[in-house]
Amino acid sequence: MALAQQVQLQRDPGARSDIVRRVTGSPALQLVGRRLLTAIPVLLGVTFLTFVVMNLIPGNPARLILGINATPGQIQQTDIKLGLNHPFWDRYWLWIDGLLHGNLGIAYSNQQSVNTDLAQHLPVTCWLLLYTLVVSLGLGVLVAVLAARKPNGIADRLSLAVSMLGLSIAPYVLALVLIYVFAVKVQWFPAISNSLGSSPLQAIRALTLPAASIGFPLFAVYSRLLRADIVEQMQREDYIVTAKAKGVSPWRVLIVHATRNSMFTLITLVALNLGTLIGAVAIIEPIFSLPGIGAELIGAIQINDLPLVEGIVVVFALVTVAGNLLADLMYAVLDPRIRYGRSAS
Amino acid sequence: MAAQLPDMTTTLAPGAAPPLPSLVSARHLRTQRVARAVRLWVPAAILVALFFICFIWPYVYTIPSGTVGDILAAQEPPFSPGHWLGTDPVGVDVFAMLVYGGQVAFEVGFAVTAIGMVIGGLIGLAAGYFGGWTDTVLSRIIDVLIAFPALVLALAVAEVLQPSELHLIWALSVFSVPAFARVTRGSTLVVRQLPFIQASRLSGTRSWRIILRHVLPNVIPGIISFSLIGVGIVVILEGALDFLGLGIQQPKPSWGGMIARGQTVLTATPEYVLIPSIVLLIFVMALNLLGDALRERWGVR
Amino acid sequence: MSDALLEVEDLRVAFAVGGREVRAVDGVSYRIEPGRTLAIIGESGSGKTVGCRAIMGLLPTGTIISGSARLRGSELIGLSDAQLRKHRGSDLAMVFQDPARSLNPTMRIGSQITEAIRTHRKMSKSQARDEAVELLRLVRIPAPDRRFHEYPHQLSGGMRQRVMIAIALACRPKLLIADEATTALDVTTQAQIMELMLELQAELGMSLVFISHDLGLAASYADEVVVMYAGKIVEQAPAKKLFGTGGTVRMRYTRALLDAIPHIERAAHTELPVVTGRPPDPTDMPPGCSFAPRCAHAADDCLAKAPALAEHSPGHSWACWHPCENGVAQ
Repeated sequence: MALAQQVQLQRDPGARSDIVRRVTGSPALQLVGRRLLTAIPVLLGVTFLTFVVMNLIPGNPARLILGINATPGQIQQTDIKLGLNHPFWDRYWLWIDGLLHGNLGIAYSNQQSVNTDLAQHLPVTCWLLLYTLVVSLGLGVLVAVLAARKPNGIADRLSLAVSMLGLSIAPYVLALVLIYVFAVKVQWFPAISNSLGSSPLQAIRALTLPAASIGFPLFAVYSRLLRADIVEQMQREDYIVTAKAKGVSPWRVLIVHATRNSMFTLITLVALNLGTLIGAVAIIEPIFSLPGIGAELIGAIQINDLPLVEGIVVVFALVTVAGNLLADLMYAVLDPRIRYGRSAS
Repeated sequence: MAAQLPDMTTTLAPGAAPPLPSLVSARHLRTQRVARAVRLWVPAAILVALFFICFIWPYVYTIPSGTVGDILAAQEPPFSPGHWLGTDPVGVDVFAMLVYGGQVAFEVGFAVTAIGMVIGGLIGLAAGYFGGWTDTVLSRIIDVLIAFPALVLALAVAEVLQPSELHLIWALSVFSVPAFARVTRGSTLVVRQLPFIQASRLSGTRSWRIILRHVLPNVIPGIISFSLIGVGIVVILEGALDFLGLGIQQPKPSWGGMIARGQTVLTATPEYVLIPSIVLLIFVMALNLLGDALRERWGVR
Repeated sequence: MSDALLEVEDLRVAFAVGGREVRAVDGVSYRIEPGRTLAIIGESGSGKTVGCRAIMGLLPTGTIISGSARLRGSELIGLSDAQLRKHRGSDLAMVFQDPARSLNPTMRIGSQITEAIRTHRKMSKSQARDEAVELLRLVRIPAPDRRFHEYPHQLSGGMRQRVMIAIALACRPKLLIADEATTALDVTTQAQIMELMLELQAELGMSLVFISHDLGLAASYADEVVVMYAGKIVEQAPAKKLFGTGGTVRMRYTRALLDAIPHIERAAHTELPVVTGRPPDPTDMPPGCSFAPRCAHAADDCLAKAPALAEHSPGHSWACWHPCENGVAQ
C-alpha cells in the first residue's frame, strides 16, 4: 500500500505541491508570486530600452534646444545643466533612481517636471480609455452572445460583416469620417474639445467620437473572438450536453454556461489588446485636440523634448505591463480550478 | 416529406424511411464550396489588382507625377480630363499619389512582415521548441518589446531615426518581430506536444531535422494567415506615422500623408480624406479576408 | 402492450457527412417495461448512443430522425425542442460517460444540481438547496453539506459520476439512461456505480437503460439485452436467455463478443479469439449482412442478402442466416 501511495504521489503533482501549498498558501497566491517575479525583468528591460533608444539620437540635444545659432560655449553650458556631460551609465542610474522615487525628470521645453505635466493630462486620457473600454466590451459581449445563439444565422452573419469592417478600418480614418458625419454634417458631437467641459454630459459629448474611433476596431476584435469561443463551447463541450439534458432553456445554456466559461478568453484578450488601446490615444487625441497624454507625446516628439517623450513612453509601457499582470491575476482569482486546487477526496 | 436543408433536426412520419439527404446536401454542399472559393479568390484578386495598379500600370501607361503639381489644374474634381480622380489643392494628381503611396504601402507592409516572419519566426521556433533557458530569456526579451504599445514604439524609433522609407521599415520591424515571435512560439509549443513529435525525439532524430521536417510544416499555415493580417496592421501603422508627419515626408506621396493633408479641408472637400481612406480600407480588408479564408482552408484555429 | 414505459419503433437517424448519407441508426425497435433494466450493447459506431440521444433530442442540428418513440403513450419524435425540454430532465434523464468533462468546471456542484431541480419544479432557492443535499445523500456521497459548495475538480472520478446521477435523479425520472456511465471509471468504482444505480432503481421504481460495449456488464446487471451492430439490432433477448446456464447466444456477432472476453478458466497461453477487422464504413455499407466481412462463418448468402431481425424463438430475436447451433454453458 505504501508503494502505491508513493507512486500516486509521484504521478500526481498536485499532491507534492500540497506541501508547498500548505507552506505558501493558496495556489492562487503561488501564481501571483510567479507572475510578479517574471514581471520584474520585463520592467527593467522596458526602462533600459527606453533610455537606450532615446539617448541614441544623433545630434546634441542641447543644440536642438538652443537652435542653430548657439555658440559652443552655450552648448557646453546647457550640456552641463542637463547633465549630459556624464557618461551613459551614470545618467542611466540617475534616471532609474529618479524613476524609483517616482520622478520622471524635467522636460526640456518648459523646465517643468514631467510628473506634473503627466498629472495634468492624465485624467482626460483615463476617462477616454474607460469610456472606450466599457462601451466596446459591453457591446462586444452583447453582440457575441446574440451571434452565437444561432451560428450562421442572420445576426451572426451581420455581426461578422460589421466586425470585418471594424478590423480593417484605421482608427484615424474612422475618426475623420466620424468627424465629418457627426460633427460637420449633423453637429451632434464636437470635433474639437480642448477640455472635458464642466458637466458629465459635456464630457460624454466630447469623448464619444474619440472613444468610438478607438472602440470600434476593439469591439470588432472582442465580438469576433468571443463569439468564436462561445460557439466552440456550445458545440464541443460535454457539459453543454449535460445542461441541455437537464432541460435547461437554450438562452440559459448560452449565457450561464457557455458565455461564463468564455469570459476567461475575453480577459486574456483584453489584456493582450491593452497595448493597442493605450497606444491608440497617441493618434486619436491630437485629431480631436483632446488634452491627454497621447497629445502630449505627439507634441513632445515634434519639439524634440526628449525627457518628456522618454517619460511618457516609459509610463505607457509600464502601464501595459501592469495591465497584463492584472489580467493574469484576475484569471487566477476567477478560475475556480486555480483558486481552490484539489482537495483530498 | 419535403426535402429539407440540413440546418435543423427534421422528423418524419413514423414508419417512413428518411429521404436520402445526399441529394439535398449535395446541392447545399456545392453552394458551400462555391462560397468558400469566392471568399478566397475575390480578396486575392483584389490584392493582385491593387498590386498591378501600383507597380505595373505606371510602367505601361505614363501617369502624372505624384509629387509635382500643376498649379493651373489645382483642385480639379474627379473625372476631369487627364485626372480621373481629380487633383489636390496644389494641383498634384490624386490617382498618381494613390499609386505611389500604394507602392510605399506594399513595400513597407510586406518588407516589415517578411522581416518579422523570418527573424521573429526563428526566435519563436527556438523559444518554443527548445524551452528551458532559451525560452525564458527569449520570452523576456519579447515581453519587453511587446510591452510598448505598437504605435508608441514605432513613434519612439521614428523619432530617433530620420524619417525615410527604410527607417520606417526598421521602426515597424521592432514591433513585428516580437509579434511574430510570440505567435510562432505559441504554435510551436502546441505542435511540440503532438505524439508524433515526441516519438521522433524519442527515436533520437536530430533536433534540426525534427524542426525542419515536422514542426515547421505544421506551424507555417498559421504563420502565413497571421502574416496577411499582420501586413494590414503594418500598413495601418505606417499610415499613422505618415499621418503624424513622422513617416514618409512631403512631398513624397503616402496614403497617410494624403489623409493628413485632407484633414485641413475636411469640411469643404471631404473627398481628399475619403479617397485614400477608402483605398486603405479596401487594401486592409482584402488582406484580412484572405487571411481568414486561408485559415479556414488550412484548418488553423 | 400499452403498459410499456418506453416503446421505440423503427427508429432511424441519419445525417449528411461530406455529401454522403450516414445511417447511424437504421430501424431499431425495443420496449422497456417500468422498473426493468435494458442493456444496449455494441461497438463504437454501432449507433447505440445516437439512438438514445435522438429520443432525448440531444442531437446536433442537421440530423434527420424518423420513427416513433412513445413515453407512456405520448410520442417524443417530432416534438419541438421546447416541448421536449419538458420531458428532458424530468421524465427522462441521462448520465454521460466522462464526468470530468460533463460537469461545468466553473460552477459549484450544488448549483448544478439545483439548476436541474428548479428547471422543472417551482421551488425557492433554499428548498432546492435542501433537496440537492438530499440527492447527494441519496447517491451516497459523504458530507453532502460540504460537497454542495465544492467544484467538480475537487472531487474524484467516482464521486463526480455520483453527482451526475444526482443531477439526473433531481426530478425523479421514470427512465434513466446511462450512456457508458462506467466506462471512464476504474473497475472497482465501476461496480460501485452500477450497484448504486440498481439500488436507486429499486428505491425509486425507475426503468434503467444502460449503454455499453461491455457484454459482461449486461450479463451481470440487465434484465433485457439488445445487441447493436452498424445501426441495426442483431440480437435481442432477456438476459437469462443469452447468458447463464441454459443460455444460448445465436447471432455470430454476439457469440464472437462473448468469446473475446478472457476467462480465468481458459487454458494458459492460448490465443484470445478477438473479433478481427473494423465495423463497416457507414457511408459505404456492404450489401448483405453487415457483419459478414468479419464473420468466421460467413457464407455466400450472408454476403448477398441482409438477414432480417426475427423472433425465431419466444422472446429471443436475432438476425443471422447461420446462427450458432448450441449456446455455451457458462
